Amino acid sequence: MDLVTLVVFGSWLAPALASAENADKDYDSPFEYDYESLRIGGLVFAVVLFVLGIVLIVTKKCSCSSDKPRPKAPDEETAVPIAQ
Amino acid sequence: MFSLSLCFQVDNSSLTGESEPQSRSPDNTHDNPLETRNVAFFSTNCVEGTARGIVICTGDHTVMGRIATLTSGLETGKTPIAKEIEHFIHIITGVAVFLGVTFFILAIVLGYSWLEAVIFLIGIIVANVPEGLLATVTVCLTLTAKRMAKKNCLVKNLEAVETLGSTSTICSDKTGTLTQNRMTVAHMWFDNQIHEADTTEDQSGASFDKSSVTWLSLARVAGLCNRAQFKAGQDALPILKRDVAGDASESALLKCIELCCGSVRANRDRNKKVAEIPFNSTNKYQLSIHETEDTNDNRYLLVMKGAPERILDCCSTIMVQGKEQPMDEELKESFQNAYMELGGLGERVLGFCHTMLAEDQYPKGFAFDTDDVNFQTDQLCFIGLMSMIDPPRAAVPDAVGKCRSAGIKVIMVTGDHPITAKAIAKGVGIISEGNETVEDIAARLNIPVSQVNPRDAKACVIHGTDLKDLSQDQMDDILRNHTEIVFARTSPQQKLIIVEGCQRLGAIVAVTGDGVNDSPALKKADIGVAMGISGSDVSKQAADMILLDDNFASIVTGVEEGRLIFDNLKKSIAYTLTSNIPEITPFLLFICANIPLPLGTITILCIDLGTDMVPAISLAYETAESDIMKRQPRNPFRDKLVNERLISIAYGQIGMIQAVAGFFAYFVILAENGFLPSKLVGIRLNWDDRSVNDLEDSYGQQWTYEQRKIVEFTCHTAFFVSIVVVQWADVIICKTRRNSVFQQGMRNKILIFGLFEETALAAFLSYCPGMDVALRMYPLKPSWWFCAFPYSFLIFVYDEVRKLLLRRNPGGWVERETYY
Repeated sequence: MDLVTLVVFGSWLAPALASAENADKDYDSPFEYDYESLRIGGLVFAVVLFVLGIVLIVTKKCSCSSDKPRPKAPDEETAVPIAQ
Repeated sequence: MFSLSLCFQVDNSSLTGESEPQSRSPDNTHDNPLETRNVAFFSTNCVEGTARGIVICTGDHTVMGRIATLTSGLETGKTPIAKEIEHFIHIITGVAVFLGVTFFILAIVLGYSWLEAVIFLIGIIVANVPEGLLATVTVCLTLTAKRMAKKNCLVKNLEAVETLGSTSTICSDKTGTLTQNRMTVAHMWFDNQIHEADTTEDQSGASFDKSSVTWLSLARVAGLCNRAQFKAGQDALPILKRDVAGDASESALLKCIELCCGSVRANRDRNKKVAEIPFNSTNKYQLSIHETEDTNDNRYLLVMKGAPERILDCCSTIMVQGKEQPMDEELKESFQNAYMELGGLGERVLGFCHTMLAEDQYPKGFAFDTDDVNFQTDQLCFIGLMSMIDPPRAAVPDAVGKCRSAGIKVIMVTGDHPITAKAIAKGVGIISEGNETVEDIAARLNIPVSQVNPRDAKACVIHGTDLKDLSQDQMDDILRNHTEIVFARTSPQQKLIIVEGCQRLGAIVAVTGDGVNDSPALKKADIGVAMGISGSDVSKQAADMILLDDNFASIVTGVEEGRLIFDNLKKSIAYTLTSNIPEITPFLLFICANIPLPLGTITILCIDLGTDMVPAISLAYETAESDIMKRQPRNPFRDKLVNERLISIAYGQIGMIQAVAGFFAYFVILAENGFLPSKLVGIRLNWDDRSVNDLEDSYGQQWTYEQRKIVEFTCHTAFFVSIVVVQWADVIICKTRRNSVFQQGMRNKILIFGLFEETALAAFLSYCPGMDVALRMYPLKPSWWFCAFPYSFLIFVYDEVRKLLLRRNPGGWVERETYY
């Protein structure tokens, strides 16, 4: 049983190993994927989003105050504290 | 206890709240030790006179000591938010245990061994725990505490931040809290009419007509017949802020005259004092004799002030418009009316009179004998009355009005007299215009008090002695049926009983106070609020919140922030709980359908403790959806933080859609790799078997263990990313419970920040080199990110439609079943 399996394996692998590079590429190309560029692209995306978020928070401090002028409520005037 | 005393006066304000000094004598006038005149108390101040006595109690047996023992013996109960969180924990635990046990039994039925079934049980229960929720709740409360600190409200106990929002009753102390705790001249009576003085803290009120000569005489008497003086070195300070040496009433007169007529000291220097008889309780007046400033006039000026009826008895003429007129019945009657009116306002009234002593009888250099009176003390000329009150703080009436429109009942609890308490209550808005007590109704209809129907009176004023005789049911009756209540002459023990009575009726009680006598009530209340500047250290210690600028209006801020954070915590919890379902269901399907594990433990933790944290916390920055100050306070028994409707939305509706999104991505990836869904069911044993290195997929490809596991972990990463994508939609719909997102707007910058950071973190975890070794998270092909997009959109549309139906049909089925 093991011998048969080994033969089947060998016959499957052998043409693959023995054949020319072009044939390899043709067969294997659907199984190859450029993970390196994907990683770099993904990391760039992550960094861009991160920086965008920080920028949004930092500018929040300046734009928010000019965006909505806060209405001064009449009851917000603090009472003069009595010192005795 | 006194054996002898001489003009001895004490200031009991730290113990009972009375603003004016009380005189003490060796007579036993009352059974109640707080009322009787021959006892003085530890920690009160002596303001005048001398006395000798014996000590009858020390340490813990003194009244002060008893208050201290009472306060330290109280155990503070749970805050409302702690109770809510406990209730919420019970619900989550219930669901977790139910799911766990169900699947334990199911696992046994499906043939797993006992050990495996137990491991599944534990796994499911743990997966139900929202790990990030504790941090989220703490951060939300802390953010609110910081916001309140900016508005000068110092919160000592983090959970107390929310309590004011749930408050339904405020029991407020009067002296020092609602009032300024300084006597001020409020009214004057001269020229046959009552004039109003300006009692505001910054002199912004209306002034009265000062042109009358009578007023000048009145001011002169008030300034001269007065032993109070400003302390040295205060010329730069505004008059109202200066320290005065002297008793409260005389300080009030001094400040009033200084404000209206210029330097009193200069006036006193010009009219040098020759003799004086100080105030004593038998005579009830004070008298002094001065040289006039007019050097040509050698006559002496005698000025006198005291209790109005005594002064009137000594007078035969009255000054009207600067001219002396003989006193007639008509003028006497108008005097009586004025006196009754001013007294009815709860003010302390003093009468003033003067005369120029005839030169022939009292030539220059006459030796005035004050012990054996050798000069006239009758036939004087009556000038007028001045009355004083401890005025309310400027911001209080407005704050009380706002609290009442927010549905909060405001009760006054004070140790001072009922008449003064009632007058201040009317001035502040605790007793509103048009509401009468039984006594008012009786007086108006001229019938005895017993005949008045108690249901007609919405307001009532209750004396401390009556309080002692009330049973618990009677007390509950009073608290329930009256909307405006004033308790006067209450001891610290009674203040505590009142707070307990309100709590028994199910109300959440806030107590505001500043003195030592408030501390037991401050501790017992659900939230105690102390004054920061004028409050005693004991009250600040017992309280949960301190108003750093003594501004009562900060309580309104506290109520608003408390209600807002309660709503926002609901949203935050709904958001966090929703992701539990897509975290648990992979495990359940793993057990039941024997598919390869769709989502691993590390990725679950990446969600709960990583990507979900910032959006959950950002929900605390949401603004209010509708006017929260116009709502009634929440009913602590019915309106819970987490109820079945929240669970139904989070677990039953949105959570399910999210789980489907995750599984969709999972099946897509496996299918793209060659494992069609039909092949996956039942494959689990072989999939997880290390020895199987030739597992066949639907296309006949054979997979080694390592290759399979890489695909599995890629699926975990994709499931994780799908959850992140659907949580975008979840956080947007959790922003609002009723309004549409388009109405509310995306003004919450922190939320947008959270969305960006969440996605950035997910991308980083997927694509960073080394993540495959460290966390076993693999880079995803870009198309796989888009697997969950349609479900995200579906969640958004589903919830917008639900909220639309909710708004269109208030009270309908949708609201009853899904509005949390």
